[in-house]
Amino acid sequence: MSKGQRTKAMSKSARDKIKEQQAAARAQERRRKIVTYVAAGAVAVAAVGAGWWYAASNSRSEEASGALAPITVQSDGAAVMAKQGVTGPVVDIYEDFQCPACKELERVSGQTFKNLAAEGLAKVVYHPITIFSQEPTKSNSVRAGSASRCVADGKQWMAFHDLLFENQPPETEPGFQPEQLVQWGKDAGITSPEFEQCVTSGKHAQTQLSYSKKVSDEQKLDHTPTVKLNGIEIDNGVLFSPQELREEITKAAK
Amino acid sequence: MAASQPSHRATSAIPWVTVVARLVLGGVLIVAGALKIGNPTDSVVAVKAYQLLPESVAVPVGYALPMLEIVVGVLLVVGLLTRVAAVVAGLLMFAFVFGIAWAWANGLRIDCGCFGGGGQLAQGQEPTYLLDILRDFGLVLLGAWITRFPPGRLALDGALGLGGDTRDVEDEG
Repeated sequence: MSKGQRTKAMSKSARDKIKEQQAAARAQERRRKIVTYVAAGAVAVAAVGAGWWYAASNSRSEEASGALAPITVQSDGAAVMAKQGVTGPVVDIYEDFQCPACKELERVSGQTFKNLAAEGLAKVVYHPITIFSQEPTKSNSVRAGSASRCVADGKQWMAFHDLLFENQPPETEPGFQPEQLVQWGKDAGITSPEFEQCVTSGKHAQTQLSYSKKVSDEQKLDHTPTVKLNGIEIDNGVLFSPQELREEITKAAK
Repeated sequence: MAASQPSHRATSAIPWVTVVARLVLGGVLIVAGALKIGNPTDSVVAVKAYQLLPESVAVPVGYALPMLEIVVGVLLVVGLLTRVAAVVAGLLMFAFVFGIAWAWANGLRIDCGCFGGGGQLAQGQEPTYLLDILRDFGLVLLGAWITRFPPGRLALDGALGLGGDTRDVEDEG
């Protein structure tokens, strides 16, 4: 009320002047708000971007550095990858061809294990086990695991191992079918005539199951992947960060 | 007069309800993000476990998700960019509801991965789809409320004069 009376009393030019000033102040206020809003938004987006970048770079895989260290398939089905004369530190990898986290481990850190073995910094032992107890994952895993037992040559074993993880079926449907396994075996360079028969007959299915049971009990495994460095489980945070993994294993090598 | 009294009180309660909604939704997001952020691979595996996104999309989503949750959660708690943050949070929760419902409908046996964990169920563990969906749907509703009535009290938006409904203040004056 009092405001209206005051304006009435003012001269026209003074009133215009005040209006202009008010408009200018409003415009300035609006600009300030927009700048604040955009700045806050930019900081938020940058923070998300930084988080993504950190996570992505933390999990960046190593490049293949050259030829693999020699691989020998043991009679129990485990595969040992080590340079001649390297006996430690021992890295035991317990993994299931059907387990998605194992596939992720291979994607992120698989190359680090291979490089460390090739550099003579570790003796890496792969133990393909079946951890699943429900269908269809159990049968999938047994088919894949027992098929890997049909490969005698180390180099071919590793190529087959990599192909199995690459082609891992979803956990909800039957997969790792015998004909697929035979094909991937061929892709892996397996030429042995017994391979196909060994895979399709599921020759080593029982061995795969009994080996899994034995190893799981001995090593007290309740999840895959489990990776042990000289018998001590490596923490997941380290395991899935190739750089930290390399540091930890290299430290143990000294 | 007698009728307008309670409705006025109800109106003045709205900003406080928004505060509570912000704290709950923001708090849940911060906790969920913080539990995942130390282990980005778990988060990637969890996203993949839903079998909804192709690998090339699932991997970056898995890496970005924890930090996105934390940032949106912090914005909600402090009440900055409240409306935008509430929309993003609501959409995120809606996507989670959709994902869990999808997993359920397709007979996947997974852990929702909501608070860390690799989306895998340990032996003998049963999925808790209905509970997860109800919780996340409740959070969608909170997001909708905040979007409708931002920014509430104790919000940086209010202090900075950003966005939000100044109408509430006028009504009270």
